[in-house]
Amino acid sequence: MQRNRPPSPQTVNVLLALAADPARWRYGYDLATEVHLKSGSLYPILVRLADRGLLETSWEPSVDSRPPRHLYRLTGPGRDFVAALTAARSDRTAARPRRRLSEA
Amino acid sequence: MPFFLVFLMTPVAVAIALYRRDPRRFLDGPTEDVPLRLLRWAVGLLSPQRSEWGQAMLGELGHLDGRLRRTRFALGCAGAALIMPPWGRAAGGLWATIGITAASFTIYAGLIVHYRLGAGAWIALAVVLIICVGYLLGTSALLRRPGVALPGLLGGVSAAVVGLGLSGFTAVDQVTFIPDPWQQWVRVIAVPAAIGAAGTLWRRDPVAGRRVARLAGLSGGLLQLLYATVAVAILGGGGPPDEDGGFTVRGTVSDRLANNIVDLVVSTLILAMVGWAAAALAGHLVRRTPAPAADPIQGV
Repeated sequence: MQRNRPPSPQTVNVLLALAADPARWRYGYDLATEVHLKSGSLYPILVRLADRGLLETSWEPSVDSRPPRHLYRLTGPGRDFVAALTAARSDRTAARPRRRLSEA
Repeated sequence: MPFFLVFLMTPVAVAIALYRRDPRRFLDGPTEDVPLRLLRWAVGLLSPQRSEWGQAMLGELGHLDGRLRRTRFALGCAGAALIMPPWGRAAGGLWATIGITAASFTIYAGLIVHYRLGAGAWIALAVVLIICVGYLLGTSALLRRPGVALPGLLGGVSAAVVGLGLSGFTAVDQVTFIPDPWQQWVRVIAVPAAIGAAGTLWRRDPVAGRRVARLAGLSGGLLQLLYATVAVAILGGGGPPDEDGGFTVRGTVSDRLANNIVDLVVSTLILAMVGWAAAALAGHLVRRTPAPAADPIQGV
């Protein structure tokens, strides 16, 4: 059963970081550093996003003796989801002052 | 006697298992740093459906330098790997186990409040919480293994039902039961051995049999803990006087709750240990059974 809960603030931050340059493949550690998340929080978020089809993954071939590295970027539906999320957030921000004005 | 046998054999069996898993590491010491070993272990607990994510964590760790950075990254990933829920229907088993554990813990805490058992009881409750969380993490890790969830949980329920059948199902039976020698052998040897052997035969794999025994130990122990905690809640300080219990109601309740925790740990250890040995033995016997000869007509 697919649950459609609204994303957590941490998930939103990860999505926005990925959407900043949607064509670029990103490393897990770099993403975690950028959005100030610990690895223990980042990977479950990435797993959930990939399960929902919002994230695509790839492997970077191993260099020297180092292991191959996992790469992440948004899928088409992922980009649409971020666009819808951003629009909803801006609507909400625009609605708040209006409500305050009407209350006043 | 069987209790002492199991407790004496446990460290020996664990040492043999570690040696057989990696003889060189046992003799020469570890060749990898702590973060990598920790993460490798945690990633090994992931379900096959999530193994790619484990490789992703290991791959990322391979590109990190600096002990502190590596340790922090590995600790976070290990935590994530440990609490990642099982896949598919096995998740239902985990939620059932969480419900049983939460019920036991809530009743235990309720009894402490009701009987005003004092600071020592709250410390004991904290210890119980740590034990229960450990049990749930172990259960979660085992439920992720393919083909282990159903036989393991069935084994746990069977062990609990047999244990209750031998002692009697009433609350008084739970606090006064002293097993006869034959009952002791059934509880300590026959049932765990049957579960371990059945687990191996179920999957035709001794590794799966050992996991089934461990899962049965954890889930059966938690089920019995719930039953025994409910029994204490029903009886309170009433029922027959305990031989070694306190002379007050508080002392009696506190003593009965502590007995339940000791029973939980001992029964789990016994089931996991004896079941593990039986699974290994069954696997050995299954391997020795010659495979049926191929059909010569089909082979042509």
